[in-house]
Parts: sequence; structure tokens; C-alpha cells
Amino acid sequence: MLKPTILVIEDEEAICNFITAILNSNGYQVIKTGAGKEGLSMAASYSPDVILLDLGLPDIDGVEILKSIREWSKIPVVVVSARGHEREKVEALDLGADDYIVKPFGTSELLARIRTALRHSPQSMGAQALGEEKTTIGDLQLDYEKRSVFLAGKAIHLTPVEYKILALLSKNAGKVLTHDYIMKEIWGLYAGDSHTLRVNMANIRRKIEENPGAPKYILTEMGVGYRMVEEL
Amino acid sequence: MNRRDKARMVVQPLLVVGLLSISSGIGYAFHFSEFPETNIVITYLLAVHMIAWLTEGFLWGLLSSVIATFLFNFFFTEPYLTFSVNDPSYIITFFIMTVVALITSTIASHAQKSALDARQKETETKAVYNLTNHLTDASNINDIVGFTVGEISTCFGCRAACLCFDENGNSERFFIQQQTESRQVRREIENPEEIKRRMEQLKTGYEIGSEFYDWPIYGYEKMLGMIRIPIKTAQTMSAAQTRLLRSMIESVALAMDRLRASELHNRSREETVQERYRANLLRAISHDLRTPLSGIMGTSEMIMDMSTQTDPRYDLASAIHKDADWLHSLVENILSLTRLQEGKLILNKQPEAVEEVLAGAIERISKQWPEYEIDVSMPDELLMIPMDAKLIRQVLINLLDNAIKHTLPDGDIHISVEKDENSHFAVFKITDSGSGISQEDLPHLFQMFYTSRTQIADAKHGIGLGLTICDAIIKAHGGTIEAKNRNDRTGAEFTFTLPMEVQMYEQLS
Repeated sequence: MLKPTILVIEDEEAICNFITAILNSNGYQVIKTGAGKEGLSMAASYSPDVILLDLGLPDIDGVEILKSIREWSKIPVVVVSARGHEREKVEALDLGADDYIVKPFGTSELLARIRTALRHSPQSMGAQALGEEKTTIGDLQLDYEKRSVFLAGKAIHLTPVEYKILALLSKNAGKVLTHDYIMKEIWGLYAGDSHTLRVNMANIRRKIEENPGAPKYILTEMGVGYRMVEEL
Repeated sequence: MNRRDKARMVVQPLLVVGLLSISSGIGYAFHFSEFPETNIVITYLLAVHMIAWLTEGFLWGLLSSVIATFLFNFFFTEPYLTFSVNDPSYIITFFIMTVVALITSTIASHAQKSALDARQKETETKAVYNLTNHLTDASNINDIVGFTVGEISTCFGCRAACLCFDENGNSERFFIQQQTESRQVRREIENPEEIKRRMEQLKTGYEIGSEFYDWPIYGYEKMLGMIRIPIKTAQTMSAAQTRLLRSMIESVALAMDRLRASELHNRSREETVQERYRANLLRAISHDLRTPLSGIMGTSEMIMDMSTQTDPRYDLASAIHKDADWLHSLVENILSLTRLQEGKLILNKQPEAVEEVLAGAIERISKQWPEYEIDVSMPDELLMIPMDAKLIRQVLINLLDNAIKHTLPDGDIHISVEKDENSHFAVFKITDSGSGISQEDLPHLFQMFYTSRTQIADAKHGIGLGLTICDAIIKAHGGTIEAKNRNDRTGAEFTFTLPMEVQMYEQLS
């Protein structure tokens, strides 16, 4: 099987080397650059499977790179940013980034993000788009056809909106979904503030999580959105 | 009494005698030429008028009016050279002459007095204007003092001096005195405290010392200094001069106040700039530290992944990772602190679900300390509290981190959230089962850079910033934070509260 290619656009050499080493040792092929402009042309010529993009580049703003990539391609982009820049992350996600990872990150976190991104890449989406009928994460089981949810084999009663939110998250398991994105998907254009979403989320958690204070299935990405885990 | 006054006392009677003699002489000339007596009367009236005009005050005019009538009676009415009179009709002449003389002399004196007043006012205005003009150009307190002393000395013809008080209202050690027209000297004060005390007890407009009369300069808020006029000059000062001095002091006070205000303004602006510069520097350094730290943490983690746990290199890499991680949390805390200390803390307050914030903190802590188990209890209903989620999460992380540092891995750490219906506060409680807080540490816990001395150095390093930040963040939210030892067993208990509702004033703004 062909090794998946990952383009790393990152100007910090130390981080770049460390990312390259991890990815290489985990069976990925890596091409890297420290400059935004070069990154853009490499994205076009190599057509990588995933792009890892640092938002704080010296020559071009990372967000601009993301915009120009999205003009012609759906290659999954994972954004790398510093902690505390929530608005930057949300902006990047709303502009079409697939996920983000916060510095400093660990090996497992990076690999998980890359795996998720690859699963959502255009090539693999072909199979997924047909629609799986069921999803199982730990004890949680979703049946999309019957619109029903089971926890450890027991049926769980959810309101239609709660079900829609849970289904949306599970179909994008592993990926972070911003508040705005979820609200638009569930309530359409006239989604109000995020309060309603939070209330619904709290209710869902009370139904599926053992302890809503330390959730296992749906994680909160502070200031950004929610992420459903792929596996326990 | 000065020389000018003495001269006046001699000149004025001479003037009266002289003018009346001249007019008597002219009267004789008229008498021999057998001109009508009317001419003689008119001549006397002219003399009285001139006397009133040339002398100061009403006295000489009035006196000369009466004398003129008697002179006319004495020399020119029959019988000559006596004060008796043959023709009783002359009595009417005398009476009218006296009245006319009185009236003209009064009018003349009055006009003369007004002219004098106007002249005096003019000099006053000019002096004050001169002073104000100079004071506007003054760029520091020494300029002001220099101009003031010079101007007052010229104005009153004395060697005036000025003593300044500093910003706290204490007297300075030196005062400036005019020595000659172009030279000013600094003289030392023997007892500044004494002067200050005397000035504070001042009830009249000035204070009499052994060498000077001291006039205080009152500023907008406190006394700014005093003008010192040598005793000899001060004793002979007229009311008009005192008034002039007062208005000059008033302008000096204004100028000094203005200077003080602008100095204060400059200084506070400088301080703000410096403070911002320091915060920016700290923030920039922290920011730059993050990136290499990511590299160190990532690389060390990778080495750990590549080596087996029995490999000695695993422990080395793990130690590197732990230290880098500690540095990283220090950087996070410093960044929060610079945000908090910028003076105007802008809280990004939004209603947040408490459980989400809690979960965020626990997730972070569990990643760092996987060997610890954290027990969570929360109310069943959803709790939405207005807060800056990032900052509150930082508080929770710091408190949990603190609890973990003082507890063994098998000890229990508990975090609970409750709603206090009465006070409308949410109460967060974090308890550990460590050794608790020693009595001597308890009062200093939230002070900056305070780390317990009872701890073995570097056993588990504390930063000394964590709790300070918690304190600042919670207070900024309008809540309270406190620490105590558990009652039921050993261990510490940290409690903080957050208001459940947005305060009225915040909603309005």
C-alpha cells in the first residue's frame, strides 16, 4: 500500500523535525517547508493526503494559506496553533480547516488527529458517503436507519434535536465541530446563540455519560466546539 | 514712615504757604491798581484750587479754603490788617468765598485721588501681568520661584524670598532670596518642620517671623510654599500694596498648581508606558518560550515512545518531559498574570456550562497526572454561570495541580460544585487528602511568589504564582476564594464562589 503523504508547513525547525520523526516512524511520508508561499506550491504539486499547517508563519498568515488551498482543493488541513488563540482556531475551522492541534502536543494526540483527518479525506469519504448504518463507540451504539441510540444495549430516549446533534457528532467522530457549525446543521440559518446548544448538550451528556463532569464520549473543546471520541 | 512721606510732610505746608502768599501779593497789586475786589477773591480761589490739586488728601484743601477767607478779610477789607469788618455785606462775601473754596478744593482733591487710584491700579495690573507672563513661560519650579522672587523684589523694592513645599506639603531645606537686582541666593532653613507647623496653624493672612513676614501660597489641594517679605518692608506696606502682593501670590499659586498637575500627568503616563512595556516584554518572552517548549516536550515524548520502560533513557526523557511541562504551565500562568495585571482586566464573560469548564480542567490534569483519580460531584441540573471560561479553567487547573502536588497518587482528590440558592452563588470546592496547610503558610497563601518554606526545596516545585492568579481571577469575577484545612481529616480545602447572575451594572454597560 502506498504511504500517505503529509505536507508539514511549519517554520519552527525543532517542531518540524519532531513532527517529521514521529510521522516517519509511524509509516507516513513527509514533505516539509518553513515558508507559506512554498507550502502553497507544494500543496498543488504534490497533492498530499493531509496538510499540517502552522497558523503563525513568518511570510503569509496561515489563515490566508488555508483560504487559497480551499479555493481549489478539499485536502484535509489540520491547523497547528498556540494555546489561547481560540478565535484564530474557530476562524480557521469556519474557513474549512478540518481540525486543529494545540502546541505543545504529544505524539499520540498528533497521530490521532492525522488518522482522523485521513479518514475524512476526499478519497476515503467516497466509501463513507454511502452511509454507514451503525456506529459503535465503546458502549454507545447509534443506528442511523432506525434513529435510535443504545447504551450498553439499553435503548436511550433522546429528543429529535438531541438525536440530530449526537448523530452529527458521531458521523464526524474524532473531528472537532465548532458551535456555529453544529447550530447551522441542526437549526439552519436562524440558529440563535449557543445557549440552546449547551443546554441540549448537557441533557445528552446526562443521558449517555456516567459523569457529565468527566465525559468520555463527547469532549468539550473550550471556546471552540465539541468533539466526539472515535473510540474509548 | 519712609522718606517719601517725610518729604511730603515738609513740601505740602510750604506749598500752602507759598501759594497763598503769592495770591496775597497779586491781591495787593490788584488793590493798588484799584481793580474790583472780585478779582482778588477769584485769585484766592485759584490758589485754593491749585493747593487741593497739588497736595494729597482733603486736609490741605480745606485748611487753605479757610485761611484764604481770613487772609482776604485781614488784608483787603476795611479796616485793613484786622479781622474785623465795617461793611456787614462782606460777611456774605466771606461766606460764599469759603463755601466756593471748600467745594472746589473737595472736587480737586477727589479728582486727584481718583487719578492716584487709577495709577496705582495700573501699576498693580502691570506687575501682576508681568509676573503671570513670565510664569506662563516657566517650565519648572525653579523658573517659577526665580521669576516670582525677582518680580516681587522689584515691585516692592525689597529683597523678597520664596520657599517651596514639596508634594507632600513638607518644607524644602532651601529658599531663594533676591540679593541684588541680578543675583539670587539659596539660603538654608534652620527648622523646616517648625515652619510647616507654624504655617499650618496660621489664622491671619501672614505670619511674622524674626526676619520675614511670610505669606503662604495656597494651592488647589495644599500649601505650595510661601513668599517671604523682609520685616522692614512688610511693616510699611500700604493696603494697596498688600492687595497687590496677594494677587501676585494668587498667580504664583496658579502657576505652581499647573506645573504640579502637568508633572503628575507626565509621571503617571510614563508609569503606564513602563508598566505596559514590562507586561509586553513578559508576554513576548512567554510566547517565545512556548514554541521551543513544544519542541522539547514533543521530542522527549518521542524518545519515551521509542525506548522501553526498563531502558535508563526512558527515565531521562521522562524527566525532561516533566520539567518542560512544568515550565510550560509556568508560562501559561505568567501569560494569565500579565493579562490580569494590565490594570484593566477585560473579562470575556459569557454564560458557560460549569460541567464543560470542569471537564476541560480535569482533562488537562489527567493528561499530566494519569496516575491520579479525581472525584467529581455536580448538581443534576445544568448550571450556566457567566464567566471567562479560559480563566476559570486556569483557576481549576491551578487548584487541582496544587491538590495533586500535596497528595499521594492513591489519596483522594475531590471537586464539587454546588448552588447556593440563598446568595445566588455557585460554590466550587476542591479537597485533597494530603498533609494540609501549615498554620504559618495559611495567611500568605495567595501572595505573589510565596512558596511554603516548610517544603523540602525542589521536592515538587511550586511556582508561587498559581494561587495568586486564582485569587486575582476570582476577585475579578466578583467571587471569593479561601483556603483552610479539612475538619474531618488531614488535607486542604479550597473553596471559591462565583456569582450566578450577571450584575445589573454589567448588563447595562
